[in-house]
Amino acid sequence: MTHSRRIFCTQILKTLIGFSALLASRTGRANWTLEHFSPSLFEDNFKAFYGNQAIIDSADLQLKLPESAENGAVVPITISSDLEQISQIAIWVEKNPTPLAATVQFSSNASIYLTARIKMAESCHVIVIAQQGERLLKTQQWVNVMQGGCGTG
Amino acid sequence: MTTIKLRSQKLANDTEIKLLISHPMENGRNRDPISGELIPAHFIQELTIQHNGQAVLSVDMGGSMSKNPFFSFRLKNLQSGDLIKASWIDNWQQTDSAEHRIE
Repeated sequence: MTHSRRIFCTQILKTLIGFSALLASRTGRANWTLEHFSPSLFEDNFKAFYGNQAIIDSADLQLKLPESAENGAVVPITISSDLEQISQIAIWVEKNPTPLAATVQFSSNASIYLTARIKMAESCHVIVIAQQGERLLKTQQWVNVMQGGCGTG
Repeated sequence: MTTIKLRSQKLANDTEIKLLISHPMENGRNRDPISGELIPAHFIQELTIQHNGQAVLSVDMGGSMSKNPFFSFRLKNLQSGDLIKASWIDNWQQTDSAEHRIE
């Protein structure tokens, strides 16, 4: 009796686990990737993201950031470019505990232009990488952060 | 009450879409000033912009985006009467969306 109950309970448990796995896979977002947006060292995360692909410094990516930010919790950023066929732009904040702030995916119906507000834990480079076909383009700017800490990064 | 404010403005070539989202964007490393407890991570993961039902732009993000995120984008070939829809999903699987018709 006890034995068959144990088997029964195990079966129920297995079914439940199966269901929750199914649910997780249904609701889980295919694109958003936890590792990319987890706390990590910039160098490690950046390398995991781009591997050994060559990254070219580009003057055709315009990046506008304040030279110094009073409040690291809200730093306005503007990125624009006249280059064709940019499919993705990633915003990296070198010294943030979570260095990857965002990736923006552009369709051909979107111009390469975006403004946003990012958190900065401390003074560092903000690095912008654009994917243009097979090429990776880079521009960066140093931002002095007057007050980081709470609510930032 | 929607969490999204969505506006548009015609420019010379493009239409600028501005959006402001009410969201705490907690990265999980801040402490409640009174209790001293860690505030759980709570941030938008994905924001999608659709034009007449077709995705034109999306943003994947984490806790390094500011509280109450603000974005502006520029879309091509918008006609008056076109429908713009913005929707987001966060790490608690909460979602919201808003629609805006181009004038």
